[in-house]
Amino acid sequence: MWSMSAVSEDDKLNRDTAKKVIRRSWQFARPYRRTTQAALVLVTFWTATTLAGPVIVKYGIDSGLGKNDGHALNMAVAAYIAATIAAYFIARLQFVYINRAGEGFLRDLRVRVFDHLQSQGLSFFDREKTGVLVSRMTADIESMGELIQWGLLQFVSAALLVVMSLALLFFLSWELTLLAMVVFPVIVVASIRFQRDSNRVYLTVRERIGNNLSALQEGISGVRVIQAFAREDEQSRRFTASNDALFDAHMDSIKVSMWYFGLVEFCGIFATASMVGVGGYLVHRGSVSLGVVTAFVLLLGSLFDPVQQLSQLYNTVQSAGASLQKLYGILDTPPEVGEAVNALDLPHEGEVAVRDVDFEYVPGRPVLNHVSLTVGIGERLALVGPTGAGKSTLAKLMARLYDPTSGTVSFAGIDLRDATLHSLRQRVVVVPQEGFLFSGTIRDNLAIARPSATDDEIIASLASIGVLEHFLAFPEGLDTEVRERGSRLSAGERQLVALARAALVDPAVLVLDEATSNLDPGTEAEVEHALESLMADRTVIVVAHRLSTVRRADRIAVVDHGGLLELGSHDELVALGGKYAALSAAWERNQGASPGRPA
Amino acid sequence: MSEVVDVAQAQPAPERTPWRLLTGLLAEQKRGLIAGVVVGVLWAAAKVSIPRLIRNGIDHGIAGNESLLKWSLIIGGVGVMAGIFTAWRRWIAFRESRITEQRLRERLFNHIIRLNVGYHDHAQTGQLMSRASSDLQQLQGFVVMIPLTISNLFQVLAILILLLTSDPLLAVVALAPLPLVNLSARRFSSKIHPAVMEVQNRQAALATVVEESISGVRVVKGFGAEAVQARKLLAEADQIRAVSLDAAKIRSRFLPAIDILPSLGLIGVLAIGGHRVLRGEMTVGQLVEFNASVMLLIWPMRNIGQTLATGQRAAVALQRVQKVLSTESTVTDSAHPISLPQTPPLGAVMLRDVRFGYDPDRPVLDGFNVAIPAGTSVAIVGGTGSGKSTITRLMLRFYDVQSGSIELDGCDLRNLRLNELRQAVGVVFEDTLLFHDTVAANIAFSDPDAGMDLIVHAARLAGADEFIEHLPEGYDTMLGERGYSLSGGQRQRIAIARAILADPRLLILDDATSAVDPSKEHEIREAMATVMRDRTTIVIAHRPGTIALADTVLLLDEGRVAAQGTHDELLNGNARYREVLASFTDDQQADDVEVDAELIDAAVPEPIGGD
Repeated sequence: MWSMSAVSEDDKLNRDTAKKVIRRSWQFARPYRRTTQAALVLVTFWTATTLAGPVIVKYGIDSGLGKNDGHALNMAVAAYIAATIAAYFIARLQFVYINRAGEGFLRDLRVRVFDHLQSQGLSFFDREKTGVLVSRMTADIESMGELIQWGLLQFVSAALLVVMSLALLFFLSWELTLLAMVVFPVIVVASIRFQRDSNRVYLTVRERIGNNLSALQEGISGVRVIQAFAREDEQSRRFTASNDALFDAHMDSIKVSMWYFGLVEFCGIFATASMVGVGGYLVHRGSVSLGVVTAFVLLLGSLFDPVQQLSQLYNTVQSAGASLQKLYGILDTPPEVGEAVNALDLPHEGEVAVRDVDFEYVPGRPVLNHVSLTVGIGERLALVGPTGAGKSTLAKLMARLYDPTSGTVSFAGIDLRDATLHSLRQRVVVVPQEGFLFSGTIRDNLAIARPSATDDEIIASLASIGVLEHFLAFPEGLDTEVRERGSRLSAGERQLVALARAALVDPAVLVLDEATSNLDPGTEAEVEHALESLMADRTVIVVAHRLSTVRRADRIAVVDHGGLLELGSHDELVALGGKYAALSAAWERNQGASPGRPA
Repeated sequence: MSEVVDVAQAQPAPERTPWRLLTGLLAEQKRGLIAGVVVGVLWAAAKVSIPRLIRNGIDHGIAGNESLLKWSLIIGGVGVMAGIFTAWRRWIAFRESRITEQRLRERLFNHIIRLNVGYHDHAQTGQLMSRASSDLQQLQGFVVMIPLTISNLFQVLAILILLLTSDPLLAVVALAPLPLVNLSARRFSSKIHPAVMEVQNRQAALATVVEESISGVRVVKGFGAEAVQARKLLAEADQIRAVSLDAAKIRSRFLPAIDILPSLGLIGVLAIGGHRVLRGEMTVGQLVEFNASVMLLIWPMRNIGQTLATGQRAAVALQRVQKVLSTESTVTDSAHPISLPQTPPLGAVMLRDVRFGYDPDRPVLDGFNVAIPAGTSVAIVGGTGSGKSTITRLMLRFYDVQSGSIELDGCDLRNLRLNELRQAVGVVFEDTLLFHDTVAANIAFSDPDAGMDLIVHAARLAGADEFIEHLPEGYDTMLGERGYSLSGGQRQRIAIARAILADPRLLILDDATSAVDPSKEHEIREAMATVMRDRTTIVIAHRPGTIALADTVLLLDEGRVAAQGTHDELLNGNARYREVLASFTDDQQADDVEVDAELIDAAVPEPIGGD
């Protein structure tokens, strides 16, 4: 079977990067160096035993036949048996060693890359796609499994086998070795070409598989539209086109491999034929023995097979190199939000001050410009403004989810960048629009906010926002598994978990991003109530979407086009007659138009 | 999924065993497969003859007095044949297997997209996808083995006969380890399978931790919970290492054994054969022949074991494919279809005492009666789950009514050909699905043969012409998942253009404006008014502006018509109507604060879960 891994041109490593990747991997593998070295020594022995067979045959034939010496033959057989048994145990051992080293290496890689990912700031996660990062940690690392399981050993042993067979053949008869070398270059060239062509063809196959899957998915997920417009036939035609293109790509890949395998088969037999012819001639002349010719006929296989293996493994090694390169790329990204060297613990309470803050996600595209405001202890500030105006960004800066590009955000007079991350996360908690749940139990999901929390503290925090009964009513109470992404809970219940997490931390400052859409009617009132309890006696910064929320705030900040437009209480801003006044009037009108539901 | 199973079981399966499906397909490829077997047999003959030729070369050429050149040429000549047949048999085997795969995939796709919507409601896209991808791959992997294995079997048989007839004792010695090889291979695959599954399970568990930590990065960061996640990951990474090493131990026990066992036979041949040569009972050539023949057996023997395993997996895959193919659509053309009348006025709709529920015991519509005269428009308003959108689906005959009837221009929908019905009914859905194709092709979705002038005309009427001209490649810009992405309003205008081009006698605007930014809604409204002119239209909406487009309004409550009248009449006279509208407006306050979002959203990379 030929290896189905392929590397795109972009991913191919040049000599320098390849060297760097190898050097770095060797450093990375430091704890496993001894095991690896042991495996490499063993593989040398193992390769040598592979060659023992034909040599012993030669010895048996020449000394046994020539001198009619049965004892020599028996010795040869005994030696062969010993070598074979030794080979089995050596192979077992090298296998275990290389896997122990390899799996250890991969484990370290997983842990290191993950820890490094977690050390990145949020802007890193804004830039990178989740799918890509996940595939670095999964597909890219897993793709090296094949190499570790057998590829690396095979690679080394194939290379050794070529060198050792050549040396051995040369030692037996240089004339016949030269003869064997006539075909050798053909196989080498064919293998290199095959490796290159199959890589190219396979990339096409992969691309066409992708297109075919998209066409498939489009058809299945778009089935209602397709049927609504009676376009089944047209869609079938489109699918057939991609299906046929995939078929053609498969055929191309077969063409590449069929010639190669045919050629290799021929070369092997051709070499044998020439051994019989030329070797026979040399035997007649008396310059080599019949045993040597026989050994050559038997050894030819071990000369040609490894070349094929090497060419196929080359792709596997290349793609592993490409994966490593990407993973090292992640490790080389410097962490963004770090802790200052002499970081301070934040005091228990204090006002939040934003001073002349600029911020941009992408250099050259400012999201916030010269924003300054102060939120007093226990004050409730509502941020309003159009989507994209920067209000959520401003809220995030106040929790140091990002650092301002210039200007400062401080708590109790301490710049957040000078605070210990631990104390910062204790003082300021962000409750996002939607409660994000991890797989595990409800208890696990709460404890993520404070791993050291005792059961009593968890219960108390749930009770403090009035949701304890709700969660205890689950079949297994707090030990209920929420399933993937909390799919067992309703959106409202997920939000309750998010609020309970915040309650467990008991922060001084709460940063809320109010949900834009309505929750399930069943839990909406409960969420409202829990939120109110949570906000009591805390400094609250809320990104507001509802009039009711805005009206309950002490002050309102209108954010637009990255700037603070208006700041004041509801009455003050209405009196000001600016943007908020207009907004508020529009709300009032809407409220009037919907008499069915009081605000 | 359980209901899919029920549906599938409810239909009599015309093809009982999965193999029947395969044999049917392979029968169509009889010629190719026979050619594959013939070439394979020739290949085997060439391979099998080589050891004998080498022996003759050694015994007659080197040790005897015959011409060395003759034997070299013969061996070389057979080498050429062997090379050609190797390539050829490979080509045929792969080609035939890919043909099977290709044809079956096409059949599956054509079947799936014609299955009734009720089936798709319960089937998961991913499941259906893997029927047509990974399951077919399993099958292909097996089909390719069929001609190859037949010629391998032939080769094995030929060598066994040759060996056993020429020297039974030596043959038995040489072959003795091979059953052991086979046994170890089978024990290996039964042991390694669960180990590999375990590795995959652990890898999946680690992927979940990674995925959650990245998707939930704001929660993790927000609570400084990095260490918690790091501990979870460490545990998973250790688990992966442990189970991988378990699998490695199994491999280390079996793989070298499978590799080395055949050598034991060869050693036996050397020992016994060598002594015979010494005693003059055997030639060196015969010894080499024996050796080479046994070597030829090793690979095909292993391969046969592999084929059996592949066959088992393919059978399971085939069964799943079979299940989809044997599911029949429950919404089909009538046996004696009638045609819609062609004389105007067109588009009269009549729903008589309709009862329907996705779950038959829980009707969504019950005793539902509506008559829409041709050329008029009706807005249907109702709370969430009142069954508004169900009406669209019933009009398109995605489902059949349980009782009562629906008529279009006096024809019961069930008596019409599905294609004719669906061409007569045009729908603009809430969320417009764009296909991976050009803008023009997406508009011409309803009529792929439409000329460019018609497409542009439709786009202009839909108010889409202007933004399309500004796209990088105008009407040739690729859309869809991997193409240019449009805003909600732009997508909706494409959908309206689609409906204009389709020129249906009945138009349904199903929540067509809800995905549109409120500040842009009036533009869409104009486009909609253009299409609705003189056309029977059902408007499903909850924004007052859109509702007002219709001549009359119908309030849907608890599966039946609760009130009917103009928007103003209902607003003034019906408390329930006000209540329903209010529940929508409340949703909308959020929207109303947010304006001009699109431009900024486009400029700023999406912060996770941000604005």
